[in-house]
Amino acid sequence: MRAARTSSHGSGDDLGAVSGTLRVSRTEGKGPSTPSRIVCAVATDLGARRANALHRATPGLIHELIAKRGLISAFAQRDFRTRYRTSAVGWTWSLIQPLANLAVFAVVFSVVFTARAPELGNGEGSSYALYLFTGFVAWNTFAQLLNLSMASLRESGSLLRKVAFPAWAPVLGSALVQMVQVCLELSVMVVWYVVIGNVGWTWLYVPFLLLALALFSQAVGLLLSTANARYGDVQYIVGVVLSALYFLTPVLYPVSAIPASAPWLKAFVEYQPVSWYVRSLHAALYTLDGPGVLVTGFLLVFGVVAFLGALWVFDRTTEDVGEIL
Amino acid sequence: MSHPGEAAVELRGVGKRFRRHQDRRGTLKELIVRGRAKQTQDFWAVRNIDLRIPKGSVYGLVGHNGSGKSTLLKVMAGIYRPNEGSVAVDGRLAALIELGAGFHPELTGRENVRLNGSILGLSRREIDGAIGEIIDFSGLGDFIDEPVKNYSSGMYVRLGFSVAVHMKPDVLLVDEVIAVGDEDFQRKCFDHLYKLRKAGRTIVIVSHATTLIASLCDEVAWLDHGSARGIGRAQAVVDDYLTSVNSGEDAPLRKDGPEYAAHRTGSGEVRISSVEVLGADGAPVAACVSGEPLRIRLAYHANERVVDPVFALAIRHESGPVVTAVSTRITGDDVPEVDGAGRLDYLQSPCRLNPGTYQIDVSVLESSGTHALDAWTSAADLVVRQARGLHRGGLISLDDGFEAPVTHVEPAARD
Repeated sequence: MRAARTSSHGSGDDLGAVSGTLRVSRTEGKGPSTPSRIVCAVATDLGARRANALHRATPGLIHELIAKRGLISAFAQRDFRTRYRTSAVGWTWSLIQPLANLAVFAVVFSVVFTARAPELGNGEGSSYALYLFTGFVAWNTFAQLLNLSMASLRESGSLLRKVAFPAWAPVLGSALVQMVQVCLELSVMVVWYVVIGNVGWTWLYVPFLLLALALFSQAVGLLLSTANARYGDVQYIVGVVLSALYFLTPVLYPVSAIPASAPWLKAFVEYQPVSWYVRSLHAALYTLDGPGVLVTGFLLVFGVVAFLGALWVFDRTTEDVGEIL
Repeated sequence: MSHPGEAAVELRGVGKRFRRHQDRRGTLKELIVRGRAKQTQDFWAVRNIDLRIPKGSVYGLVGHNGSGKSTLLKVMAGIYRPNEGSVAVDGRLAALIELGAGFHPELTGRENVRLNGSILGLSRREIDGAIGEIIDFSGLGDFIDEPVKNYSSGMYVRLGFSVAVHMKPDVLLVDEVIAVGDEDFQRKCFDHLYKLRKAGRTIVIVSHATTLIASLCDEVAWLDHGSARGIGRAQAVVDDYLTSVNSGEDAPLRKDGPEYAAHRTGSGEVRISSVEVLGADGAPVAACVSGEPLRIRLAYHANERVVDPVFALAIRHESGPVVTAVSTRITGDDVPEVDGAGRLDYLQSPCRLNPGTYQIDVSVLESSGTHALDAWTSAADLVVRQARGLHRGGLISLDDGFEAPVTHVEPAARD
């Protein structure tokens, strides 16, 4: 009934014999190359036996991610419940803010700068406001997940010095709450599209595109938050870069609006990663002509790989993060 | 559940190092401008710790502030990763480092129980199963559905403790947190700890309450500057620790070695071999208490037979003044003769010296009282500690006081 804990993830055989929860932490050598890990397994009931089988089939990190889903959701619930706890209209604020923002941009850019949006997919003219809204949702998902990740890790510092739990749990919890917000924005947008009759089968891509975007954004968020824990300047640099990148993403204008005299600018706006998602969402929701299974599949795979890679890096760089926060 | 032979927690050569930066959080500028070779001062909070905590035992960690007790507990809890060595924990572990860790002020008590429980590692099902019991144990009643920001600090820790003890851990780590809440709740906490102990769970306690540690624990480890100075039976280790704490108080004052040879004169027929301050039980103490009996024992060795010697003793305050100087001749406690080893006690009952540090001079004179056989200046230090309550000022407490006051005295008419 006893297992030594010297190796990284503990083999499935080890864990199979353990009753209750076993913490496996590894001995550290000279350098930082062998960080300790905590692997938990509960082998006393059926659910746990299933989890154990799962553990044998999956790499340690994914298993741990699944094992800690309760903790992630506990943090998500905390953030969800406290986000607008003291306000009268509560979560309505989560829509008022972006919609007000949207209204200002729509008026300024379509009236003052006479910006033009492409043709709607249903062939009934164009709507700059909806084009903007669509790009807006995608951009907000990206930018907010970055900022929330950094803030969430910072705020967890004192707790990480008192209780042992993976530092990514509160970060992912806050990301889940942001996705609730994204879905609220999305549903308002969908109603709007339905009202003007711009509906197509390409909408089926939307959930996958959003998931891919969320995974990619969270990957960037995880990397930035661990960097930010060490170097406090990161969050300010991110602020500057984000405000520049916002104008270099086809949210306020379509790529076609960039004159041919600026080929480098055009190439950057067209191919920088955030544009992939913005343009795909435009294609799926607004122009109803894409982005196609291949692109969606690629974005999804890219998102998953980026997320797991970033989580791996995060996990290995935040083991002593409580000490520096 | 209990397997007496097995270890619940085993530490092998554990060391934890901390970095001492001016500002521990770096900036990008430092990374870029100075590179990674930034000068950092490291210090080891604990090092080379080998501990074996048997299953079903109650284990105590004692030591002064900064000795590494809490760091070691956090290493066991997995909050800190050891830089050296390994930690093995068998079974589920719960650590009470801070009660109500992660409580959110805006959430209700009930919501916080769920949050705190999840953070401490309970599954949702376990929380569902225990939440009623947790709320009962906390004794918060209707307040459980109020936001915890409206709680008193006592209510806060009661709720935190209730969650923590309902984790049903195999190993419970407790860091100085039991001293919370009112007496009623404290009793509840201790009852619960005893219950856990009876159920064969392992408990590791860090505390400055040495009497509690001595009575509750089976074994104790005494940490001193990050290393284990004593490991063993609770009472024995606690006694060693306390002795060290007490002697530590006057250690810097003690004079040793050749330095005091200069303080020693006399022809040497009799030598005083030691001067000790004794407690009520006759064992040497580091300090005596003002108002309680003071006993100073002189041990001597007479190299030849000396008839009618005079022993003298003086107590000087560290600032210089001699507070008292007596001899066996003055007090009439004549010593007929000395030959070989012997001893003589000086008694001041009660001790009239006020709190402070004093030095003891001793001497042995031949019967005329003019020639010193042995004269030893600053033979020992005497630390007098304050008894409870107020004490008088000055060097000594005389048997003095005031008479009943006479009030409303008519002023004498002036000429």
